[in-house]
This record gives sequence, structure tokens and C-alpha cells, in this order.
Amino acid sequence: MLQRLMAGFMHPARRRLGLTIASGALILLAVIAGYGFGADGLWSAAMIAAAVVAGSDIAVRAVQALRLRHLSIELLVTVAALGAMVIGEYWEAAAVTFLFIFGAWLEARTMRQTRGALKALIDAAPATATVLRDGQPVEVAASAVSPGETVLVKAGQRIPVDGEVIQGAAAVSEAAITGESIPVEKIAGSAVYTGTIAENGALRIRATQVGADTTLARIVSRVEQAQEEKAPTQRLIERFAQWYTPGIMALSALTWAISGDVRLALTLLVVGCPGALVISTPVSIVAGIGRAARSGILIKGGQHLEEAGRIDAVALDKTGTLTEGRPQLVAVVPLAGHGRDTVLNRAAIAEAASDHPLGRPIIQAAEAKGAVPPADHVEEIAGMGLVADHAGQRIAAGNRRLIDRLGIPVTPEAEAALADLLSRGQTVVMVAIDGQLAGLLGLADQPRASAAPMIRRLRKAGVARIVMLTGDQPAAAAAIAAQVGIDEVHASLLPEQKLELIRKMRAEGHHVAMIGDGINDAPALAAANTAIAMGAAGSDVAIETADIALMTDDLDRIPEAVAISRATLANMRQNLVIALVTVAGLMAGVFSGDVHMAEGMLIHQLSVLIVIANGMRLLRTPAVRQPETSTRVMPAPASSRGALRPHPVR
Amino acid sequence: MSKTILRSDEFSCPSCVAKIEKALAATPGVESARVHFNTGRIEVDHDATASVEALVAAVRSAGYEARPAAF
Repeated sequence: MLQRLMAGFMHPARRRLGLTIASGALILLAVIAGYGFGADGLWSAAMIAAAVVAGSDIAVRAVQALRLRHLSIELLVTVAALGAMVIGEYWEAAAVTFLFIFGAWLEARTMRQTRGALKALIDAAPATATVLRDGQPVEVAASAVSPGETVLVKAGQRIPVDGEVIQGAAAVSEAAITGESIPVEKIAGSAVYTGTIAENGALRIRATQVGADTTLARIVSRVEQAQEEKAPTQRLIERFAQWYTPGIMALSALTWAISGDVRLALTLLVVGCPGALVISTPVSIVAGIGRAARSGILIKGGQHLEEAGRIDAVALDKTGTLTEGRPQLVAVVPLAGHGRDTVLNRAAIAEAASDHPLGRPIIQAAEAKGAVPPADHVEEIAGMGLVADHAGQRIAAGNRRLIDRLGIPVTPEAEAALADLLSRGQTVVMVAIDGQLAGLLGLADQPRASAAPMIRRLRKAGVARIVMLTGDQPAAAAAIAAQVGIDEVHASLLPEQKLELIRKMRAEGHHVAMIGDGINDAPALAAANTAIAMGAAGSDVAIETADIALMTDDLDRIPEAVAISRATLANMRQNLVIALVTVAGLMAGVFSGDVHMAEGMLIHQLSVLIVIANGMRLLRTPAVRQPETSTRVMPAPASSRGALRPHPVR
Repeated sequence: MSKTILRSDEFSCPSCVAKIEKALAATPGVESARVHFNTGRIEVDHDATASVEALVAAVRSAGYEARPAAF
């Protein structure tokens, strides 16, 4: 019993809570004794006891800090409380000390919740792993697994290492890494990450990275570095605060010297703690970055967050960002009386022998209609196409140069159809059977389903100018732009021309975000105010070079990142206003004689709590993600008061 | 020379940072210590004379509870 009490007393937070309760009870006792029974002696004794109980912890901290030659806020409060006792203001002394430790306990509690966004990530890494050693399963600490060892994971368990599946299959939820709630199928050869969950099957995994080298650990450490990196505003405030506390002490001494009013001087000391001001910015940044990390959005620091909050123009790469990044069969034009399926089938027979990227969508589409038998003989003509023999037919499939070279006539009807497909930005495969043009196949990279809604959300989030930058030809670029709702297109660009365009937009006064895949867009990314890289999980380069890295390829995260940045910037400004208004109001109140020590401490502590609570609101910024059909039926509330909405299941 | 990461979620005011850093630096065997207010992370470079328990005790003496963390 005594031992447990001692242990509780040794634990700073628990001790603080115990002292707060004891001191509060003593104040209550004093109030009942004084006002209920008129026992003034007991009133004074209980108030002094309350001040001593609460003040002891503050004084100990003040002395500890002083021994390390550090002038702390605790010192200000201790001096103020001692002064109040000396001049007989027992109630003031008790109230000031009680409110200070109660406030400190409450603030630590609330701050813990604000920092908690990352806790889920840190806790996602399992502490232990089951490894096969000498053929026997052994349970060891997760960080003690050696790379190359075989780790066993049962259904429902979290994967304890980064590695490669060597046996088994499972749907794995990668929400901890990517923020994506839909599980990914993993089979032998798939890469798996620490902290992800094997939902429904057992896996044998060859460990490649363990402990601090895992993707999860690197993400956590990047997020923490980002949270610790000070925003320009925070640096400014800290410089200010350095002078503020000694300034208040000097002001207090001066006031005492001039007016001789001890009470006024002591009150100044109490309200002089710059609490709300110094935490106004860090609270918003920690909460904003933490909230973003939960959605798989890594914002690389306060500075980038402030910058991203000002974005009013967005430049996007086309291929792979707005589009699927692989061609799809979008048109079949039969000619000279051939059937559509015949044209497709014959083209597929020829293409089946090749592994050209244009061949795959043709073969897939043909297989959906019927069997694609192997050709008897196939000849590939580099840069042009294929010529195949099948069941007595001679099939040619390729571009215009192949058709011309084989001397196959192109009728005016075919020329018109060809021109039409090309004007729509499609790549055309011409198909001929026995020396006669049989049909045209149009292939195009398709926009992702989420691209158009993403562009709409960006506009709704206040991004006025959205620009597509691409190295592709103008017709193809225009076709995609029209489908996703972008009206400004720059096509046929070289990487340095993309960079020039970004520079020009900045010169026009825009805050530009560039979204790209991080490799061929590198110069443009570097030139933008904010560089956003997609699909960064597993790519250290993208994480290192981007200002904002999205772990998945999910386009919905882009408006979400912009929305979180904006909300954080606004939140930071609100906190600054709250802090500055409080300080100004308190000063005015103190000098006009309306605010005394107890009220001063109460208002000061309240302002700190309001600032922290306001920052915590950021954790509830809603996820920008709804099924497309529900946007009209069920408009999202402008400010979501509830908890995070669950991800809708697709 | 090894590096130990401690985590505390009790920091409520940035003024505690200097206090904890000084308390850790005064612990025998500690080369350097960095305390991050925003995340509550404490990084300590130390040699074998300073045990992890001693580091936790140093932070406690400054008025805050911390625990060792893997990363």
C-alpha cells in the first residue's frame, strides 16, 4: 500500500493530479468553513494549506529549473504565490497555485491527444514476431529478427517486418502505411510492410527490413521530423517569447518600484506567462501533420504546411497521374464489310506473339469475345508492327508505315476514319487481311475514374487555376483534359519547358503546387512552391524530394491534402489571435485594476486550453472521399462536428 | 556510444525542453540530448555508463515521465 503510494508519488503526472485534487479539496473546505460557518481561522489555515500543497510541486520545479540556470514559468508563479502569502492574500495564493497545476495537468492531457494521431502508427508495429529457427517457430522481439529469416504470420495478425511473401496468400490491409482501407491481395513474391494486417490467410515471409529500417518506422520518423521542423511563424514567436518572460519580470519590478503596489506587480507576474502564444503554432502543426499522416499524406514540415495552405494554382502531369498510364482499346472501326469481332480477333492473333504494350489491351478485348488461337508463323517488323499467317490468311497489324510498306491500298473511307481517330488523340493500329485493309483499332490512355471528381474538389477547395502539363501530343492531351474537366493544357513539353511554365505561373503571382511522379517531372517539381509526389510508399526518392508525399496513387488525397493545409493555416492564425487578444486583454485588465491574480491565472489557463482544443479540431478534418453518386444526394456538411467519417466501401 | 529514444506525452509547454535537455546532459555518460516539444520525442547519445533507466530517471527528476521507444 505504502509502496504503491510512493510509486504514485514518484510518477510526476499522477503526483500532479493527486496534489490538484488535495489542493482543490482544501479550497472547498476553506470556502465552506469561511462562508458557511464564519470560521475565519479555519478559512485562512485551509487556504494556506491548499497553496502549500499545490505550490510545493511548482516550487520544486522552479528550483530544479533554477539549478539548471533556467528562468521558468514555475518561478514566476512561485514568486507570485509567495508574495501573495506575505501580504496576507491567502485566497489569491491558493487560487493561483491550484489553477496552475490543474491547468498544467489538463494541458498535458489534451496535448497528449493532439500528439496521439501518430500513436496509432507507432503502435501498429507489433512488438514480437514468430520466426522459423531450425525448423521450429520461435517468438522473438520484432527488432531481433535478422533479414533473410522466415517469419510466420497467422490470419488476423499484424505483419512484424518488411519482406517478401514466400508462401501462402492473404488479403492484407495496408491502412497503417497508405491510409487505404481496402485490402490488397498478396501472394508469393508480393512485398509486404510492417504494421499491415493479414486479414484472412496465413503467410510465410522472408524478412528484408526490420525495426527502425522498416517503411513504417521511416514514415513515422519522417512525420516526426516534419512535426518538429518549425514553421516560420513558430520561429518568430519563439524569438519573441525569449524576450517576453524577462520583459514581464522587468515590467513587474518597475511597476513595484514606481507605484509601490505589490499586488499589481505580483498580478503582472502571473499573467506574464506566455503560455498560449508559445504553443499556438506548434499545436496546429502537430495536429495538422498528424491528421494528414492518418490518411497516408506526409507533409514534410511546418514550412511546407504554411506554403501548401496558400496554394491557388495546381499543375498536373497527365500520364500516370490523371490517367491509368496504360493504353486501353477504345474504338474498333471495321472496314470493307468485315465484322468488328473478326477485326479484333485477327489483330489479336498477330499481336499474341509480341509483348508490345499496345498488344495487351487488344488481346484482352479479343479474348473476352472468343478464343485467340496461336498463329502458324509471325514476323515482327520493328517500329511498324506484325505480319502473321493463320489458317491460310495473311494478317498484318501495325501502323501506317507497315501498311504503306506492304503496299496495301488505303481507301478514302479508311483515310477519313483514320483522321477521325487521330484527332481524338488515339493511337491507331491498322489491321489488314490478305492484302486488304479490314479495320482500325483505336487505343488511348484512359483518365482514372477518380480524376474528374478530384479536379472538381480542387476547384471547390479554392484552387482557381488548374493546368495540365504533358510531354504527350496535343490531341491526346486535349482529349484527357476535356474528360477530366481541365481547360488549360500545355502539350508536347520537354521537362525544362514544364519548369519554365511553373516559373511563369509563379511570376504571375500564383502559389503553385506541382503533382507528378517525381522522376521525369523532377525539375518542374523543384520549381513549384509545393511539390506533391504520388505513390510514395516504397519509394524513398519520392518521400525525400517532395514537400508533400502521398503514400498511395489515390487522387482523392490531393484535395484532402490541400484542405488539411488550408485548415491548419487558418487554425494557426486563429490561435495567434486568441493568444494575442488574451495577453492584451489581461494587460489592460491588470492596469485598470479589474483583473487580480486568481482571475488572471484562470483566464491565462483557459486561453491555453482553448488554443490546444482549437488545434485538436484539425484531427477531425473530414476525409475527402465519398462515392461519386453520393455527392449530390448527400452533400457533405461544411464543418463536420462528429468523429472522422468512416471510409465508404466501394 | 549508443542512441536511445525516449518518448513522453506529458510536455505541455515548450519551456520544459531546455530543462530536460540540461537534466539529461548532467547525467554521467550522456554525450548529448535533444528534446522535441512538438512530438514529445527525446533523443539521447550516451555511452555504456548511462543506463536507459538512468536516462528515464533524469527526465523524471525534471518533472516528466518518459519511456524508452524502439523508434
